[in-house]
Amino acid sequence: MKVFIDGKPCEAEYGEYILDVAKRNGIHIPTLCHSDALSGIGSCRLCIVEVVEGSRRMVVTSCLYPITREIEVFTSTEKIKKMRKTIIMLLSSRVPQNDYIKRLREEYGVKPTSRFKGDNNEQCILCGLCVKACEAIGTNAIAAVNRGITKKISTPYDEVSEDCIGCGACAQVCPTGAIGMYQEEGKRTIWGRTFELLKCEQCGKYYATREQLKHSIDKLDGKKEMLCDRCKKKAVAASFKTIYEDMNL
Amino acid sequence: MYAPEIKDNLFIAKKIIEKYPREQRYSLAVLQDIQREYSYIPRECLKMISEHLRVPVSKLYSMATFYKALSLVPKGENVITVCDGTACHVRSSMVLIDEIEKCLNIRPGQTTEDGKFSLQTVNCLGSCAIAPVMMVNDKYYGKVTPNTLREILKNYGGVENE
Repeated sequence: MKVFIDGKPCEAEYGEYILDVAKRNGIHIPTLCHSDALSGIGSCRLCIVEVVEGSRRMVVTSCLYPITREIEVFTSTEKIKKMRKTIIMLLSSRVPQNDYIKRLREEYGVKPTSRFKGDNNEQCILCGLCVKACEAIGTNAIAAVNRGITKKISTPYDEVSEDCIGCGACAQVCPTGAIGMYQEEGKRTIWGRTFELLKCEQCGKYYATREQLKHSIDKLDGKKEMLCDRCKKKAVAASFKTIYEDMNL
Repeated sequence: MYAPEIKDNLFIAKKIIEKYPREQRYSLAVLQDIQREYSYIPRECLKMISEHLRVPVSKLYSMATFYKALSLVPKGENVITVCDGTACHVRSSMVLIDEIEKCLNIRPGQTTEDGKFSLQTVNCLGSCAIAPVMMVNDKYYGKVTPNTLREILKNYGGVENE
């Protein structure tokens, strides 16, 4: 299936999302609540694009809009730019002191507004990506709590969660760096709980919490592998080295 | 702080929860039933529901904090609901809320120390014609004035010393 994104012809599978196709073709669409590892949420609204389908023209969130027929997509028309500016203005009124949003504001030339009084200590835009990540890991330790102006992301009863494994996936995917994760001397603290860190068997670097390792061992049917990301990559690369020799080609 | 004894050591809760099949979609229904039985959702129940429906506690907690009809703190024996919708507000529902505070010393969302009364506000009770409206438990009271309010509270054992 052929789609045109900003005039560039792109190949897309039926049901693929616009954002994924655009990314593959090197077309930049700004996002906040998106991670390649997770399905789209569509809560930050920053990835809006204009879709032209015959005589219809509409604004859609590209992370959630599946391509089902031949369409034309425009990622930065005047209309979209104006809408994005409004979104950034609103986001920045929620988190006035956040560096990521500040950068976005500068990029789009959005002036700070005095219309809304934001909390200078607030860093979270409530996009819900951390909750999604926690769900994907299978721990479900955090969720959105309350609603309206008191809505926040937290553990049940704001207490230390037994379900949390300290993997830090929430902090890693957070687009605004709002989740505090502190690491020192073999200890990691996140969501009010301190975890003991384990060392990589190969390079001896602290890399994961005991709970995290147990969780992944359970998921991998008991296969125990205590390697950090770098050493794991190295091991995989090393296995490729001899793959052709092993196949006797 | 007032904390009612959880009746029958959660036996009733267990019965309520086990009435439902183990599916996530019954989460809200179970929470509502628990709320109806205990007039709040005890911590232990949240855990029991989570185990029965196989839904994470965080999800249930999220739900319980989202809906106003669900409460995580114990509610009083009698729940006073004062409407603060447009019609009632114009007809000075705030005066009623202030009057209740004078009589019972509670603000919306609070419970008296003896656990007899809880006060909450809602945005409409659907009977704007008789504004300002107030409810005590399941009973409606229309065209309430500070004077009739005192009478109503008296019926429930509220204001005694006048």
